[in-house]
Formats: sequence, C-alpha cells, structure tokens
Amino acid sequence: MTLPRIASFAAQAAMVCIVLVMLTPVFYMIAMSLRTAAEIVEQPLGLPDRLYFGNYVNALSQMAYLRSVVNSIGITLAVTVLVAFLGSMAAYPLARRTNRFTRLVIMLVALGLATPPFVTITPIYVIFRNLGLLDSYLGIILAFTALNLPLAVFFYTSFIGAIPKELEEAARLDNCNDWQIYWYIIRPLLGPATATLSLFVTLMVWNDFTYPLLLLTSPEKFTVMISVYRFLGNLNVQPDQLFPAAVLGSLPLLVLFVIFQRRIVAGVTAGAVK
Amino acid sequence: MRRIKRAFFGAAVSGMVLGHAAVAQSVTLDVTAWKGNEAEPAGLPDLIADFEAANPDIDVELSYISRLDTDVVLPPRLQGNNAPDVMMTDMPLVDIWAGAGLLADLGTGSEWYGRLEPSLVPSVTSDGAIYIMPLEVIGMGNFVNMDLLAQAGINKAPTTINELHAACRMLDAAGIRPMIFTGGFSAPLFVIANGLEQTDSARALGLAEKSFTESDGFNASVDLVRGLIDSKCLDPQEQAGLDPWSTALTEFKAGNFAMMPQGAWNIGDFSGVEGLNFAFAPIPSNKASGVALDLFGIGWSISAQTAHPEEARRFVEFFAEAANLQKMLDAESAYSPFQGGASGTPDLAAPYDQARVDGGVIMYPFAVLDWPKPLEREIWDSLTGFLLDTEKSNEAVLERWDEVVEDAL
Amino acid sequence: MHRNLRIYWLTAPALLVIACFFIYPILLSLQMSFTDFRGVGEAEYVGWKNYDRFLSRSRYANAIWVTLKFTVIVVVVQTLLGLLFAALLHRMPAIRNFCRAVLFTPAMMSFVVVGYVWQFIYSPFSGGLNALLAAVGLDSLARGWLGDPDTALYAIAFTHVWMFVGYTTAIFLVGFANIPQEIEEAGRLDGAKSWQRFWYLERPLLAGSFTVNIILSTIGTLKTFELPFIMTRGGPDRATNTLSLEIVNNLFGAYRFGFASALSIVMLIMVVLVALVQNGYLRRREENT
Repeated sequence: MTLPRIASFAAQAAMVCIVLVMLTPVFYMIAMSLRTAAEIVEQPLGLPDRLYFGNYVNALSQMAYLRSVVNSIGITLAVTVLVAFLGSMAAYPLARRTNRFTRLVIMLVALGLATPPFVTITPIYVIFRNLGLLDSYLGIILAFTALNLPLAVFFYTSFIGAIPKELEEAARLDNCNDWQIYWYIIRPLLGPATATLSLFVTLMVWNDFTYPLLLLTSPEKFTVMISVYRFLGNLNVQPDQLFPAAVLGSLPLLVLFVIFQRRIVAGVTAGAVK
Repeated sequence: MRRIKRAFFGAAVSGMVLGHAAVAQSVTLDVTAWKGNEAEPAGLPDLIADFEAANPDIDVELSYISRLDTDVVLPPRLQGNNAPDVMMTDMPLVDIWAGAGLLADLGTGSEWYGRLEPSLVPSVTSDGAIYIMPLEVIGMGNFVNMDLLAQAGINKAPTTINELHAACRMLDAAGIRPMIFTGGFSAPLFVIANGLEQTDSARALGLAEKSFTESDGFNASVDLVRGLIDSKCLDPQEQAGLDPWSTALTEFKAGNFAMMPQGAWNIGDFSGVEGLNFAFAPIPSNKASGVALDLFGIGWSISAQTAHPEEARRFVEFFAEAANLQKMLDAESAYSPFQGGASGTPDLAAPYDQARVDGGVIMYPFAVLDWPKPLEREIWDSLTGFLLDTEKSNEAVLERWDEVVEDAL
Repeated sequence: MHRNLRIYWLTAPALLVIACFFIYPILLSLQMSFTDFRGVGEAEYVGWKNYDRFLSRSRYANAIWVTLKFTVIVVVVQTLLGLLFAALLHRMPAIRNFCRAVLFTPAMMSFVVVGYVWQFIYSPFSGGLNALLAAVGLDSLARGWLGDPDTALYAIAFTHVWMFVGYTTAIFLVGFANIPQEIEEAGRLDGAKSWQRFWYLERPLLAGSFTVNIILSTIGTLKTFELPFIMTRGGPDRATNTLSLEIVNNLFGAYRFGFASALSIVMLIMVVLVALVQNGYLRRREENT
C-alpha cells in the first residue's frame, strides 16, 4: 500500500467510527431496555451483563402492540396512495403553467406547509364531528392526507418540472386530453418522487401522536405511537417502561429502513433536489 | 337448496332480532379517566367489574386519558356534542366546563353530598349546584428515606424547620445528599405550604386583593429556602432544573437522596422498590405538626349531553359507597372526601396522618380554585429561576406571581 | 383556450383538501384570536386585547427570541455538519452508502422516543452523558444539561441536529453527485487540493442543495415544539420556551384558546415572513452563481 492509500484508509476508518458514534443513543436505548430499573440507576453506562426480557414481557402485555402495528401499516399505505394521487395530479398543471392562478395555488400550498399543526386541530375536530368521521380509519386517513398534501404538491411540482415536455407534446398530437396525459404519461414516471413521499408519509403517520390522540378513541384503532404514548402516560416516566416501549415503537421503521435503506435514501433525495 | 338457505337466513335474522331484544336494555357508558391504566390502576378495573356485576344492564367502557391529554382531547369532544357520559375531572376542569354548561348538576340533595367533608363543601359547590362527586383527597408531603436518616443518626422524620436544618447538617456530614428540591415541583410545594401556613387568606391572594409581594408569609417562606441552602439541605444549581416527574423520582428510589417533597400517589410505586425503607411525612414548617398539603384531586362528572343520565348517576353513586371507595383509596394511598371516611394510607404514612390529626392540613390552593391555574406554572418557573440565582430578591420572585394572577382575572 | 383551462381541474381535489384543512381552520383561528374563547362554551369578542397582551408582556417577546435562537443554531449547525459529512463521504465512495444510512437512522425515530431517551442521556445523576464524561476523567464538565439554562437550549438543539443531520447529508450528497464529472476532473488536473476543489468548484454548484436544506430545516425547526415539550417543558425558567410551546401551553393547559389563536396567527406570520425572505435570498443567490 502506498502512503496516500494508507492515509485514505485511515480517514475512511475514522469516518466510519465517527458515524457509528452517532448511533450510540440507539444502542444505549436497546441496552437499557434489557436491564432492570435498579440496574439502570446503579450503572448508567455499559452493556447489560445479562439479557433481561422482563421489561418487554411487561410492555407487550400492556400495549396492543401487534394490532397497532397493523393499524399503522394500513393507515400509512392508504395515506400514501391518496397523497401521491392527489398531490401529483395537482402538481402537473402547476409544473407546466405559470400564471396568476398557479402562483396563487402554490402560495396556498406554501401556507399549508408553514401552518403549525396545532393551529388547525380544533377546527378539524369540529369538521370531522359534523361529517361523522371521528374515531374512524377514514377520518384519520383523511387528516394525515391533508397534513402531507402540501409537501406532496411541492415535491411533485419540482419533479414534474424536470420531466421533458416532448412526450406530452406527442400525446397531445394524438388528441389525448389532460387527464389522459397525466394518467398515462406523467404518472408512470413519478416512481422516485413517490418513493420519497412514502417515506415522509410513513415517518409522519408512524411518529405523530397529536392527531390520532384526538381523533381515535377506541384502543383497537390506535397507531403504534399512541400505544407507546398511552403506555408511558405523561408523568412519572419509568426507565424500565420507557426503553422497551421506545424500542418497540421504533422497531418496525428501523427494520424497514435496514431492508430498504438504499431505495429510501435514494428516494428522499430524488424528490428533494430536482 | 334455496329453501334451506331461506330458512337458515330466516333463523339467523330472527336470532339476531331476539338477541338484540335480549340486550336492548343494555346501555354502554363511555367513561374517561386519568387513572385505571397499568401505572396507576387506582382499583378502577376491579371496581368497574364489580359495578357491571351489580348492574348487568350497564356496560362500562373505560378509556384511559392522562391528565395532560384530558386538556387536549376532551374540550373538542365536549364542544362537539360527543362527550363521554362520565368523565374524571378536577376543580380547574369543572370550573371551565361547568361554566360553559357542559356538565350535569349532580344535585345537592343527594345522599353523598350530605356526607362530604365540611371543609370541601364550599370548594366544590358553585351557586348551589355541584358538578363533581369527589373521589379522594391525596396528601402532598415529604418522602423520607429512613435508612439514610438512620445512617446519619436520626430516627424520626423531621416535621419542623429546626428539625429539618439539623437533619440536613447531619446527613451532609455523613456524606449523604439530604434533599431533592426540584424547582419544578418540590420547591413550590415547600414554599406554598409554608407561605400559606403564615397567611390568613389564600383566596384574597388569588383574587389580587392582596399581593404576594407584600405578603409576610410568602416573603418568609422564600427566606426559608435560603435557610435550607445555608444548612446544606440542597444544592440550588443542581436542583433547579431537575425533572420532578422522572429523574427526581428515579434518584429517590435509588436511595441517592434522603428526602423529597412529592405527592402520596408515588407511595405505591416506591413501595415496590426493594430495599427502599421510607416514610411519608408532612412538609416541615414552623409549627410542630408540619404541613399536610392536601390535594383534592379527582372526582366524577357527568356530561350534560349524556343520553344515559340515570345509568351515569348509578355509576357515580356506586363510588360513593364506602366499601367501594375504599378499594380506590387503598390503591391510591389517599383519604376519603367523606366525613368519617377511612383512609387508604399505609403505615409508612403515619407521620402525615398525624399531621392531619394535629391540625396541619392546608388545602392545595389550585385544586380548590383559590388560585388560578396559570399561577401554578409560573410558581414552578419562578422558583426554578430563584434556585438558579439565589441572589434574586424575594420581590423579583413574587411579583411574577402577582402579574400572572392579574392576567388571569 | 377551452382546453387550456380544463387542465386546472386536476388541482381541484387538492385545493378542496387544502381549503378544508388549512384555509378554513386558519380563518377560524383568526376569528377566534379576537375572542376570549376558552375551548368550550360561548366566545365573546374582545377586540385587539389578545394582541395587546402579546405586545405588552416581555415573556412573549422572549419566546420569539428563544424560537429564533433555536432555529438559527439548528439550521447553521445542521447545514454545516451535513455539508462536512457530505463533502467527506463524496470522496469516500466505498463507505458512502453505509455511512449515509447510519446517519439517517435517527430520523426514523419519533420525537416522543427521541425526546425521552435523550432526556435520560442528559440526566444529571444517572444519565449516560455525565457517566461518559466521568469515565474519561472530565467530571468537571458534568452537569444537569437540561436543568441549566445556559446549556438547555443547546442540548435540545443538539438532539434536534442529531435527528436530522442525515437528511441534510443525503440531500447534499445528491448535490455533489449532480456536479458534472468534467468539472471535477478539470480541477484535479489543475492540481487543486481537495479543499480548494470544494471551495472554488463544488460549493458554488451546491447552491440548489443549500436552498432546499435551509428552507426545509428552517420551517421544520420554527414549528417544532415536541422536543422542548418532552425534554424540559420549556424550562428551566422558560429558557427553552419556544413560541409553539407557549401556544400549546395556552391552548391545552390554560384553556386560553382565544389568546393561543392570536399567538398562532403571530407564529404563522413569522414563519411565512422568514420563509419568504429566505426563499427570495437563496433563489437570487442560486441564480447569481
């Protein structure tokens, strides 16, 4: 090995180490979840000298865990489909035309993006009550769709803007209408942007707890974070409850991420930078 | 084939109709509470099972909603005509919800109203109506690790300021950290208890008729904290921002501190800690008894919109029966809100019980609406600020309280 | 012409959703901000009183100051750190994907989980950070990180950056990947050092990534209340009390819906203003390079 190569190897090794240090809190969380409450307090650092699964047994017996995972997955899928469809459909004209109307729409979308979620909570509750959508999957799916839609429109607008117009022009000559062009020409090209979006939607649905807390009342409809949050309560957080619940709450997403990480990260960036 | 199908279908339908008729009387009561989960069961699961057994026509559906979430989740439901039939409430909630006409008047003519502890009656009655059936009064006092005290050569939980000073010096000399005194909860309990003990009217302060800045009691109370710091009871910098709801509890359970002002609802959890030998004592004060800072915490309220007022009433009154309530009090280590009602406190709370007998009871002013709710947070904040910088004058601390009281009027 | 207009029907469903779930609620909030609404019951019109209260008490200006400080710390640190990681990883193709994935992992976790876990790490007595400092002989630095007003905001900002720096890095990496090969090679032939290449060749070409990163992180950070809500509840003594946390507390703790609505409107104006100014500046900068 030449000197520069050794130096480069050392630099790469150092980089890997630095990056792994970033994961310490995740390891810490897992290590803590395998210790009893007394052990955590006595010795806050270090690896567990034995694996104690009692915390998990306790947590699992009190959280309707599997049920809530299934709920989160179902809601995520439905929201992704809706957001992708509505968002890309709206984005197509916005990406292709620039005039007073599209500028207004983009401004409204930006306003939606800037609105803190708690500003809209009470009115949304009232709307849902009037529509009879409280404590229903449909309701929570609609709410999450609305929350994610502005971001989707933004993403798709910049993404479609980068798609060459030639294809459409050919189709237009064939007398296709706008809807047909969107459906048969544009939509099939949106894969990467949709991948990004599904990631955002998944993170949002999985991790938000304000909306499901408000809109869902029956435990069998809870999402994962709500079961975690309900399990922990608000006050008196106990480490032997916190850490296993934290691991259980994060686990499905982390597993998904490990399996699909390359596609996920590629997706994120494909949408963000045109 | 088709005939068979039809016959089968017919049977199924009539079965459904019959089945329906059989349960047509059954009513489902939607009940919310911030007790009844695994961490703080408060005996609710058992009590509800008992209630359902005694009332086969009523089905109780209990949803756990934590106290903080109650503020988020219930107002929209109340406003949206979609309220639970029965809700766990406290006076700050009753004040707002009943004020808006959303709670049913439980009626002062009821049997249990006549049995209420006289000192509670004026606090829970508003304009001749009562919107809450009190379930428990719970103590806020001083948790004392008796083993650590013994190591320093003390065998009695301190109840007076002088005893507290002495205990701190001996603990400190023995290398034991004397007190958890979080700015976010413990310090406020101490300051409120001692301030009120030396003040005539909590109510006047809450109405801005008198000011905290000019109150001798509260000036003296803040000075008491300075005294504790001089006696090495606590390291103000360290205690100021300590989280009272997680870190502080963990530290006390681990035996790292000898004392901690906190609420009796922790007794159950602490009792489960192996090797933790503790007592629940009053908050030390200038009187011999110390202060038993009683919190009127929780009760049941019935929604004004409920479709099942009769069933809801039966549910609420079920808890007024001594034998039933006792189960909850035992689980909570709490006191009955009724005259002659028993308490659920274990022996280790004997010092606190004694303080109540000796006339040391002071009602926590927020729970009985003497002081406006936003002041509670301001007291937590301002005392945290004080512990961070004990050079601050008493006035700098107390004028913030006056300001918030004014804002809340 | 007819056909030209028909295309806009495609935006109709999305517009309907945005109207129902954003525009209408915002208008309702605006209306509420002139009342004394307490979340339930009747609301009474109080004119500008809520806004007046906002202007007359220093604590709200303080909340805005905390919010802006927090946002500036997070955005600056996260952007620079993300840029540094991306610039290094761009030169290390062998480990690039692995590191990118690892850096991205914390973003998979929820604020609830991250907040509680970090609260334990920062805890003054049995917390991981102080134990770590003690283990390497730096006990003197140990402190209650969240309990000390001098460090609490920075501690929370650090956690926030920890969560999201992977995003920033990934976006910058795409920016790097989009730099045409020829430019890189020309630089190499000129004998430019690695950092010279970065500063004179790559940095100007990353303008688009800067824009996306800064705008996304600014809007996200301005709105956030979850971490301070869980880790410090705004304390100690309001040192981490951001405007959105103040809103949440007024809304759900104090039942001052009217006042909270006024704060929300102020907040919305602030976010929109910051976004507009930033967007304008960054886009102009992009066009100039």
